[in-house]
Amino acid sequence: MTTVLQARSLTKRYGQLTAVNELSLEVCEGEVFGLLGPNGAGKTTSINMICGLLKPDSGQVTIRGKVITNGDASTRARVGVCPQNIVLWGQLTCLEQMQFIGEMYGMRGKTARERGVKLLEELDLLEKKDKLARTLSGGMQRRLNLAMALVHDPEILVLDEPEAGLDPQSRVLVRDYVKSLARQKTIIITTHNMDEADRMADRIAIMDQGRLLIVDTPEALKHTVGEGDVLEIDLEEGSMEEALTALHPVVPQVSATNHTLVIRARGVVEQLPVVLDALHAVAARPGEVRLRANTLEDVFISLTGRRLRE
Amino acid sequence: MKVWKIFLKTLREMLRDKWILGLTLVFAPFFVFLYWIILSGGSTSYTVLVINRDAGVQQADGSMLSSGEHVIDAIRSITYADGSPLLKASIVTDLTEAERILKNRGAAAFILIPEDFSQALQQLESGDRSVTTQFTFGGDLSNPYYMVAVNLALMAVDDYVQEVTGQQPLIGYVEEPLGASAARSEFETYVPASLIFAVIMLIFLAAMSVAREIETGTLQRLQLTPISSLEILGGVTGALVLIGSLAIGLAFLVAVLCGFHSQGPLWVAIFVGAVSSLSVIGLGMIVASFTRTVSQAFIVANFPMAMMMFFSGVIYPLPKIVIFTVGERAIGLYDILPPTHAVVALNKVLTLGAGLEEVVYELSALVILSVLYFGIGVWLFKRFHLRSG
Repeated sequence: MTTVLQARSLTKRYGQLTAVNELSLEVCEGEVFGLLGPNGAGKTTSINMICGLLKPDSGQVTIRGKVITNGDASTRARVGVCPQNIVLWGQLTCLEQMQFIGEMYGMRGKTARERGVKLLEELDLLEKKDKLARTLSGGMQRRLNLAMALVHDPEILVLDEPEAGLDPQSRVLVRDYVKSLARQKTIIITTHNMDEADRMADRIAIMDQGRLLIVDTPEALKHTVGEGDVLEIDLEEGSMEEALTALHPVVPQVSATNHTLVIRARGVVEQLPVVLDALHAVAARPGEVRLRANTLEDVFISLTGRRLRE
Repeated sequence: MKVWKIFLKTLREMLRDKWILGLTLVFAPFFVFLYWIILSGGSTSYTVLVINRDAGVQQADGSMLSSGEHVIDAIRSITYADGSPLLKASIVTDLTEAERILKNRGAAAFILIPEDFSQALQQLESGDRSVTTQFTFGGDLSNPYYMVAVNLALMAVDDYVQEVTGQQPLIGYVEEPLGASAARSEFETYVPASLIFAVIMLIFLAAMSVAREIETGTLQRLQLTPISSLEILGGVTGALVLIGSLAIGLAFLVAVLCGFHSQGPLWVAIFVGAVSSLSVIGLGMIVASFTRTVSQAFIVANFPMAMMMFFSGVIYPLPKIVIFTVGERAIGLYDILPPTHAVVALNKVLTLGAGLEEVVYELSALVILSVLYFGIGVWLFKRFHLRSG
């Protein structure tokens, strides 16, 4: 696949804090690329450098080989950005601001208006086209925020926490809409929501404390923490240490978080009787038992030792 | 053209933000109207307290001469060109009462007519040049009305004495008013400064309009598009100049409805107002450069607003602090404030009947200040808000 966007050794410091440290990544044409990490990981700073809003202290970003960090506005216009916060002109109607921002990107008024109408229709906002943006509900404003990023038909679409603050109905609508754009456009999504990243992204880069930890497809990432499913057993009575010692000969991939035993193995359900016997032998009484697949949260924990939301 | 689109967008936003637009448009007309009400559409009448101790004197024909009463009539007869009273004489019984009224600023000055006033005049009339008598006057010397009231009252006394005694003054004075200034009511003399208020108030609208783009993040959205800072600020400025001109026009209209007559061409006055708006908007851009929120912009804009109000001669004239001279022109410290030139130019046009050619210097100064402030505003704005971090 053709590389559309490339970031090389991007670094941004704010005083003593290194917000982004030597970030290098490549985004291919037509893929949905997820940037996953907890709050403060450096995702938004990275995005701001990628779309040219923020000048890196070192490193550079290229779009189809053209450097954009030198203020080349025409190259920057190839990127459409939907910021995390709602950024609208409250005193303009939905359609007025669609047309206005289109014209700022150099589109003719009529073309921008037509494109605006189309996008408002696709995002279920056509009925509100003549309403002032400030009078819309939060969910509607978020959808309009997304439409604004697309009005000039950019090659690359950057969505910063696209599902943040959305009501369930709008969340489904936005998710489906972004999925419909996949392959037509190159999409970069930043999120701290592992489910969102897992569902939407073709490849995911995990960031923490300004550093890029790993990049791969969601499936490949989940394989890095072990194959098979995950069995979680809450321990109601007994010693966690003794339980771990008793389980190690039976299931080698066993760990503990707080009062929960985490067992990872192929066909882990079939091993459940053996596991319960081992616990019984050390007088440990299991409570709730849960079975789930590996998640990106597990990947993050294995890489950082912390949960995404910690 | 992107500047045009920004202009239309800004204008649209302003027209829909009725509170701020309303305040900007109504401020100056309201001041004009307020002055008209306060001055009853005319001019200030200065109140002089008179303590009349004149005992009077019997004349040869047996009638009484009460010169004190006549002096009071003479004081009351001083009027403006339109016949409205310049001085009001209010009779009080003693100094204690006069002091009480003066302390409360119920009058501008007092005059005490001596007991022997009529007698002295009679002696003088009969040829006794050695006679003297003494008027006492006083008041709060820090009251700006005091000097005017006392001078006018004493002038009335002098005139009366000359009339009664037939003495001719040694020196005759002839007053030559500039332009139509003699025929202007005090209300009319305040109109140019009131119009400048409309221009000064634009600093808030300018700073807050730009700060709103910063605060809401829409400036960052614009920054993602291929647009320059000059185009953004140019468009915003265009809309602000239009609103400013409208505010000045409205203030003019209210002034005219209240009886104001412009001595010079009105279009020159509006042109002066529009150019002044540009330089004040430039100052607003500078304010916006240092702020990140609308409330910050409002607070910071108060500083240059107060400077323009109090140090430009809009409210009261100040002594010129000369920094340097260009040819025969002395350039003062306050000349960096656009209203300094605007108020002079408007006064020339509206009161003295000057045409465009007579305000070329002030207009040139305003253009230079506009270019300077707008240039600094764009540069700072670019540096603090449009340059990628």
